[in-house]
Amino acid sequence: MIEIENLSLSFGDRRALDDVSFHVPKGAVTGFIGENGAGKTSTFRVLTTWLLPDPETVSVRVGGIDLLKDPHAACSRVGVLPEQLALPGELRVDEYLKFRSRLKGVSGNRIHDEVVRVLNAVNAPEMIRRRLDTLSQGYRQRIGLADALLGDPPVLLLDEPTRGLDPRQITQFRELIDGLRGNHTLLLSSHVLGEVEQVCDRICVISEGQIRLEEDRETWTQRLDQLGRLHLELDCPDTGAKSQVTQWLKEQPEVSAVENEGSVWSIQADRTLRTRIGKKALDEKWIIQELRSEPATLESLFLQWTGPEKKKAQS
Amino acid sequence: MKRAYFLFRKELTSIFVSPVAWIIMVLFTLVMGANLYLSMIAVSGDLKQLVAAGYGGLVSWFMLLVIPPLITMKSLADENRQGALEVLMVTGISDASVVAAKWAAAWTFYVILWCCLLPLWGILGMVGVLDTGVLFVTHLGLFVVGAAYCANGILASALTSHPLASAGLAFMFNVGLFMIHWLRFFFRPGDLELLWVEYLSAVHHIGDELTQGILDIRVFVWWGSFTLLTLFLSARVLERRRW
Repeated sequence: MIEIENLSLSFGDRRALDDVSFHVPKGAVTGFIGENGAGKTSTFRVLTTWLLPDPETVSVRVGGIDLLKDPHAACSRVGVLPEQLALPGELRVDEYLKFRSRLKGVSGNRIHDEVVRVLNAVNAPEMIRRRLDTLSQGYRQRIGLADALLGDPPVLLLDEPTRGLDPRQITQFRELIDGLRGNHTLLLSSHVLGEVEQVCDRICVISEGQIRLEEDRETWTQRLDQLGRLHLELDCPDTGAKSQVTQWLKEQPEVSAVENEGSVWSIQADRTLRTRIGKKALDEKWIIQELRSEPATLESLFLQWTGPEKKKAQS
Repeated sequence: MKRAYFLFRKELTSIFVSPVAWIIMVLFTLVMGANLYLSMIAVSGDLKQLVAAGYGGLVSWFMLLVIPPLITMKSLADENRQGALEVLMVTGISDASVVAAKWAAAWTFYVILWCCLLPLWGILGMVGVLDTGVLFVTHLGLFVVGAAYCANGILASALTSHPLASAGLAFMFNVGLFMIHWLRFFFRPGDLELLWVEYLSAVHHIGDELTQGILDIRVFVWWGSFTLLTLFLSARVLERRRW
């Protein structure tokens, strides 16, 4: 649904996007993550035709339309919820959405129904006659999403959609995004990696204008499992027993790293090792104070993929 | 074009739901009403001279120079700063349509402002003999010069991202255009350059021609061309993000 091939974008001498290639399959929710200035918003701006890519860009296809050949048609296939949502406070919700519908080419007799449809889709039908400057931040975001849904575009670009929302509003907004899954192809840019982990089917990591990683949920979950750690605390009487425990842990095939501090071990291993540790403790009469798994988060994976070592290795 | 029309309608609505627009309208009517009253005293009630005295004086010129920058200052500058312009452009509307719609809305409001004075002229027409032809031609002149001044405002608004900076810049553009008239002191009667100055001078067009009932089509050609050129430049300035 979104296919980008060798996209480059420069501002003078500075290269904001450097040979970016990725694709977002139809109906998927893809998290587009990266540090500030990594190139997320620039990519969005190219997808909305606000910015023109460099001439060496091979192709940018949105909803089956080549944006470089037919930017106007490509625009009609995309709905956008920008990071900086500026709504004309002096207008009412229905006036604003009707105006936006007309701009997006919704035919005159369908406009009212379309406004009602999108307001229902974002659970804000009661706001139809409210002035935009009287809305809370949560409802402003919903009206922004309603605007993006006008004309039923197959592709939705959501730039930091939960920014500035309180925890309840974030949960509600997440549910809204979840409800759009399948009917629309979503590209969601966010710094809240927990949110991306919960909502997205795929992730795409961008750093310094280059794509570092593009993976589906299954692959990144496996990767997180490998990065997970076990926390073990024993009631160990002497140093000899401690080194025996460390030695035994290192011999286990699932273990890739062991760190010991006092009577606490941090083990990088699959969590299935917990059962074997339990058995061994019974046999050796180790007294377990605590044994728990500490799953890795997308945050740790993100730091790993955008860290200085990785950048160095890739360059 | 349809999109430009929809945007024009929305812009006009936005102007009229804002209290600032109504305050400008009331102040304009009060100041210009007082100006006409004082001008009438100055011409001893001669309505034939009142058009030239009222619309060719300093107060009218001050309004002409100041009002368009105030109307246009938020058009593009504020929207650019807030990111609203980006939201607008993702609908597929062209830069030229945005510029045309914003200018048309600002100019329409400007025309409505001057039309607010028409009831005053109507009342004067009931008590005395009013040359409606001169009044009509003068208004045409004010509208066509105002179109150029509004276009200057749109250009200034496209060049900056702060409304006050935009208003200041537009005022400078308008004053620059206004000051052309005083170049005539560098030339002697009969010089070709003097004809050029007169051809370009708004003060000459309104003060010496239109308010005297002289309708010269070249006046409209010049101001119309200037407006189009300025709007073209404004659209190019908007497009610079892609350069």
